[in-house]
Amino acid sequence: MKNGHGSLLAACVAGLMAVSGSAYAAENTEFKVGGVVALSGAYGVIGEAMQKGAELAVEMRGGKVLGVPVVFQWEDSETKPQAAVQKATRLMAGGVNMLFGAVSSGSTLAVMKITERQKIPLLVTLSASDSITGEAMTRYTFRTSNPVNMENQMMAKFASRDGLKKIYGVVADYGVGREMWDNLKAKLKDQNVEIIAEDYPPLGNKDYSIIIDKVLKSDADGVAMIMTGGDAITFLKQSGQVGLKDQKAVFGTMVMDELMGKAVGNMSYGVNSTLRYHYSIDNPNNNAFVKAFQEKYGELPNQFAGEAYDGMAWFLDVVDSTGSWDSEDWVNAFENSTYDKSIEGTKVMRKCDHQAAQIGVFGKAVKGEAPMPEVTMEVTHRFDADLLFPACQ
Amino acid sequence: MIGTILIGLSVAMLLFLLAAGLTLIFGMLGVINFAHGALYMLGAFVAFEVYNQTQSFCAALLLAPILIAFLGAVIEFFLLRPLYDRDHVEQLLMTFGLILILEEAVRLIWGLGYRDLPLPQGFDGSIPVMGSDVAVYRIFLLATGVAVGAGLFWLIERTRLGMVLRAAMSHPAMVRALGIRVDRVRTVVFALGAALAALAGAVAAPVLPVQVGMGFTIIVDCFVVVILGGLGNIRGAIAAAIFLGLLQAFGQHFFPAWIEVVTYTTLILVLLIRPQGLFSLSAGRKA
Repeated sequence: MKNGHGSLLAACVAGLMAVSGSAYAAENTEFKVGGVVALSGAYGVIGEAMQKGAELAVEMRGGKVLGVPVVFQWEDSETKPQAAVQKATRLMAGGVNMLFGAVSSGSTLAVMKITERQKIPLLVTLSASDSITGEAMTRYTFRTSNPVNMENQMMAKFASRDGLKKIYGVVADYGVGREMWDNLKAKLKDQNVEIIAEDYPPLGNKDYSIIIDKVLKSDADGVAMIMTGGDAITFLKQSGQVGLKDQKAVFGTMVMDELMGKAVGNMSYGVNSTLRYHYSIDNPNNNAFVKAFQEKYGELPNQFAGEAYDGMAWFLDVVDSTGSWDSEDWVNAFENSTYDKSIEGTKVMRKCDHQAAQIGVFGKAVKGEAPMPEVTMEVTHRFDADLLFPACQ
Repeated sequence: MIGTILIGLSVAMLLFLLAAGLTLIFGMLGVINFAHGALYMLGAFVAFEVYNQTQSFCAALLLAPILIAFLGAVIEFFLLRPLYDRDHVEQLLMTFGLILILEEAVRLIWGLGYRDLPLPQGFDGSIPVMGSDVAVYRIFLLATGVAVGAGLFWLIERTRLGMVLRAAMSHPAMVRALGIRVDRVRTVVFALGAALAALAGAVAAPVLPVQVGMGFTIIVDCFVVVILGGLGNIRGAIAAAIFLGLLQAFGQHFFPAWIEVVTYTTLILVLLIRPQGLFSLSAGRKA
C-alpha cells in the first residue's frame, strides 16, 4: 500500500514535471536580444553600425543559440540616458533574455542599474567610461570593447614612441571629457611628455579657429584631441584648412577612422587615432567576418560594427556552452571566459571587473586606393593587452 | 591683434549666416521657425548632392538655396498660411513637426552616415595676417556674410519690394486694400528665409559636420544671435553676430572658461532689461 502511494506520488511528480517542463520549453522557443542603441540623430550612424555587426554575428552562427532562433528587438536610445532607460525597461518587460548597448556612457551607466535589478545580462561593445567596469560595475554587465584607460594608455604610448615632447590638449567640456583628459595627462607625464596648454571648448562648439590659432602659435609638437563625433569633425575640418596637421602631430581617441574620413574628407590625411577595431587585422576570424560583412552590406565594417559583432558572437558562444536558460549560468561562464575566436586575436574576460582584456590598435589616416575608401586608416601601432590593462586587484 | 579680430569677424559672419533666415522670417512674418535648422540641414545635403553630380561648388551654392526656396514656398502655402491668425503655439508646433519630417526625409534619402562637401578649388590653404594663419575659405565666409547682410538690408530698406514687404507685415489690411496680394508677399518672405537657411547650410558644409541632426546643433546659436540682435532685426543680427564673434575671439585668449557664462548672462540680461534686443535703434524698428 505504502509502495502504491509512493508510486502514485512519483507518477504525479513526474507528470507535473513533464507538464511544467513542456511549458518551460514552450516559453523558450526563441532567444530574445534587446538592443538599445542610437538609431536617430547625430549618433544614429553608430547605432546602425552596431545593429549590423550584432545581427551578422547571429547570422554567422546559423541564427540560433541553445537550439532556438535568436530574435532582435531594437529600440532607439536617442542618445539620452532617460530614453535609454525607458526603452530598456520596455524590452525587459517584453521578456528579453539579454540587453545590448547603449552608445553613450551616460546611457549605459543608467541602463546598468535596471539590468542589475532584473538580473538581465547587459553586453557593452562601445561605451568607454571607466566607471562601467569600475566603481559602477555590476554582476550582469560585461564590456568587450575598449575602456577609456586603455585608450589613454595607447595615446600616451603613441606620444612617447613618436617622440612628442610638448602637447596641447583640446578637450570637449563635459564630465567624461575632463575625466579622460585628467587620466591622459597623468599618463603623458609618466612618459615625460609636457602639457604646455589646454583648452576646453563647449560640447557642440561651432568654431575652433581661435583655439587652432593658439595651438599653431604655441611650441607644442602635438595636439591631443579629447572630443567625439561632430566636435571632432568640426575641429579637424577647420584645423585642416590652416594646415595644423602638417605642422603638429594631431592625435586623439577615436577621432579618425574610415567613417569620420567620409565627413572630414582630405583634411583627414595624417590624423592619428586610437582604433577600437580595424578591418585590416589579419587573422582567419577577422577575414571571414570582413568577407561576410561586405557580402551582406556591400561595405567594409567600421569600428562600431566590428566591436558589436565580436561581443555578440562571444556572448552567444558562452550562452551556448552553458546549455542552460539560466542567466546566472551565463554570467558565471562569461566571467571565466577566454575567446580565442575574436576578430582582434584573443580576448580574456576579467572576472574582477567584467572588462575584456585585449590588444590595442592605433592608426593614421592615409589616402586609400580603390577598392579601399578614399580615407583609409593604416595601423601604425599595435599594443599587447598586458601593456594596456592594469592587473586586477 | 588684427589677426584675432579677423578670425573673430569670420566667426561672426558664420553665426550671422546661420541666423539670417530665422531673423528674416520672424521679423517679416512673426513666425518663430523652429524648422530653420532642418532647412539648413537640407540645404547642406542638397549642396552635397549637387556637388556630387556636378563637381561644382558654385552650382551647389546656387542650386541648394533655389531648391529649398521652392520647398519653403510650398511649406508656407500649405502649412503656415492657415495658421497666421491662430496662436503662436500652433505655429511652433507646426514648425517643430516639420523638423521631424525633414529629418526623416534626409535619413531615408541620404542615410545616417556623414557627408563631406570639400573646399572649392582655390579656397584651400591659408594666408598669414599679422602673425595668425587665416583660412582662405574664412575670408570667403566673411565676404559672403557681408554680402548677404548688405543685400538683405538693401532689399528691405531701399527697394520697392522691401517697402511692400514691410507694409504688408505691419498693415496687411491696408496693403490688401491697395490691391497687393499679402499672401503672396508672405510666401516670398518664407521662401527667402528658407533660401538663406539653405545658403548657410551650403557655405557651412566645408567647415561643419554634414549629417542628420546637424540642424539641432545650430538652432541655439541662431536664437542667441536673434535675441541679442532683436527679434526680426537684420541690422541687429549682424551687430549681435559681430559682438559674439569678437567675444569668442578675445575671450578665448583672456577668459576662455567664462565665454559661455558671459554669453548666456548677456542673453538673460537682454531678455530682462532690453527685450527688443541689444542693437535695436528703437523698439519698433525692424530692418
